[in-house]
Amino acid sequence: MSDATKPADRRAATPLAALMPDAAKIHRLSAVLTLLLLVAGFSLASQAFFSVNNGLTILLQTSVIGLLGIGMTMVIITGGIDLSVGSVLALSGVGTAMAIKAGLPVAPAMALGVLIGAGCGAVNGLVVTRMKIPPFVATLGMMLMARGLALQLTGAAPISQLGEAFGRLGNGALFRMVEMQSNGFPKVIFPGIPYPAILLLLVAMGAAYMLRRRRIGRHIYATGSNEEAARLSGVRVDQTKLYAYVMSGALAGLAGNVLMSRLVTAQPSEGVMYELDAIAAAVIGGASLSGGVGTVSGTMIGAFIIGILRNGLNMAGVSAFIQQIVIGAVVIGAVWIDQMRNRR
Amino acid sequence: MSQPPLVEMIGIEKHFGGVRAVDHVSLDLFPGEVVGVLGHNGAGKSCLMRILAGAMIPNAGEIRVNGSPVSFADPNDAREAGIETIYQTLALADHLDAPSNLFLGRELKTRLGNLDDARMLAESRKVLARLNPNFKNLQDPVSSLSGGQRQVIAIARAIYFDTRVLIMDEPTAALGPSETAMVANLIRQLQSEGIGILLVSHDMHDVFDLCDRVVVMNKGRLVGAHRIDEVTKDDVLSLIVKGELPADWTARNLEAAQ
Repeated sequence: MSDATKPADRRAATPLAALMPDAAKIHRLSAVLTLLLLVAGFSLASQAFFSVNNGLTILLQTSVIGLLGIGMTMVIITGGIDLSVGSVLALSGVGTAMAIKAGLPVAPAMALGVLIGAGCGAVNGLVVTRMKIPPFVATLGMMLMARGLALQLTGAAPISQLGEAFGRLGNGALFRMVEMQSNGFPKVIFPGIPYPAILLLLVAMGAAYMLRRRRIGRHIYATGSNEEAARLSGVRVDQTKLYAYVMSGALAGLAGNVLMSRLVTAQPSEGVMYELDAIAAAVIGGASLSGGVGTVSGTMIGAFIIGILRNGLNMAGVSAFIQQIVIGAVVIGAVWIDQMRNRR
Repeated sequence: MSQPPLVEMIGIEKHFGGVRAVDHVSLDLFPGEVVGVLGHNGAGKSCLMRILAGAMIPNAGEIRVNGSPVSFADPNDAREAGIETIYQTLALADHLDAPSNLFLGRELKTRLGNLDDARMLAESRKVLARLNPNFKNLQDPVSSLSGGQRQVIAIARAIYFDTRVLIMDEPTAALGPSETAMVANLIRQLQSEGIGILLVSHDMHDVFDLCDRVVVMNKGRLVGAHRIDEVTKDDVLSLIVKGELPADWTARNLEAAQ
């Protein structure tokens, strides 16, 4: 390019170029700041909030939203949405429980539960890519169908008495230290890191690696950024979307197993509206509903903001109704920030 | 010309419902040749180019590359046959940076199968520097780049790989005069390397400057295919607008010889 265009190029490139990465960083920073403010605020409001035990409880509570949020992030980056995760979570948990009741050992039964989730995700993906039905409608249909199936299979009754082994995933902890006291009663020195939290960390690292370092991850971003361009560049757009929906379904299945294991009961009515928490976590974490933008680390921050908000409001004795109002406002605020960012 | 054409399109048809977007069109392209593809908006030239690029599947007709029949199910097939396309829309993923766009669909990988971002960045730097020495902000998302820089990425993507046929769909529509000159130079250089180029353009000046032949489409049909010295700009305009040559037309180069 000759000299004549140089100034024009530079002028067009520099101000925006300086803004773009910063905008993403500012968003991340503001999310972290919000998180810290919440922790500080709730610590002042309630003595019990800022303790090791409550911290671990938050970890445990957040792990389910976190797992759903990671899958949701992948789907949102492709420019889609998955409204079915809450119902798929219930169906998978019910599937696992029924397999255990049928005599299957716990591990293969849980694998089956995850597979059921992946299967639901595959149906979502195929309906979106083959039948060309908008993701909102396709996954809304799956939300109703999976919930209906879970209720039908169980007769709307919870499946209980699943045995101690089933409860280990949700209730067990690593590095749990218990000391026998002289009076014969055990004393818990450190309650341990809950298995669900460890599982969440592993899944988050795996998903981040997949999105950043693997080809399929690059294609997920490209598909959401400009689907037609991705297709013309040789990205197999349909397969990429299918992959994202299957991952979302499988992670919903995994989250279902964690949740049901924690309750040691399979509840077919569990997980109602969880999809909204997952979407909120992704959006608070910086994922854009118009596609092409989003990170696993951001979604983790978003999940913890929601988890801490729920936990902290509970500890402060705020009623469940007020909690809904607060979280609704937070979600609108987060999407508003996203809109502001896109307008720039 | 004794060697076989790089590409032959024979009797290509594409209809949407009752509309014949491309109506029995045949076209060939030889190595080192620049063929201008002209026509109104909606004349079917973009459709024809998309079919050759593998982005659209024709209802009938045959495509031959180096004499052997091929069928393109998606853009990857066409790219594997050495056919690259620069789209008018540029087909860039806005949120990704220049190297990611350049290698989109053909990412370089390490031995473990991870994306080799360092190598992709280095290679991009090389090929982009050849087109625009001032291109430094490679790791910004392409949405923040200028129109000229975006165009350069789209061009770089098409010539980096082992290209034998290049389809350029209005490559200069978004460019200023000096950038247009850069593209013209590039076309001549690629031509001398034996690459066949199909140049879709509305700019009559460019076409007469760069092309060896022109083909004109009108309402989906091919209404004229001429060596550039056989026709004047007015003749080509008449083909584009009316779909036929002026009534008193004879080949201009013969006329001049008389």
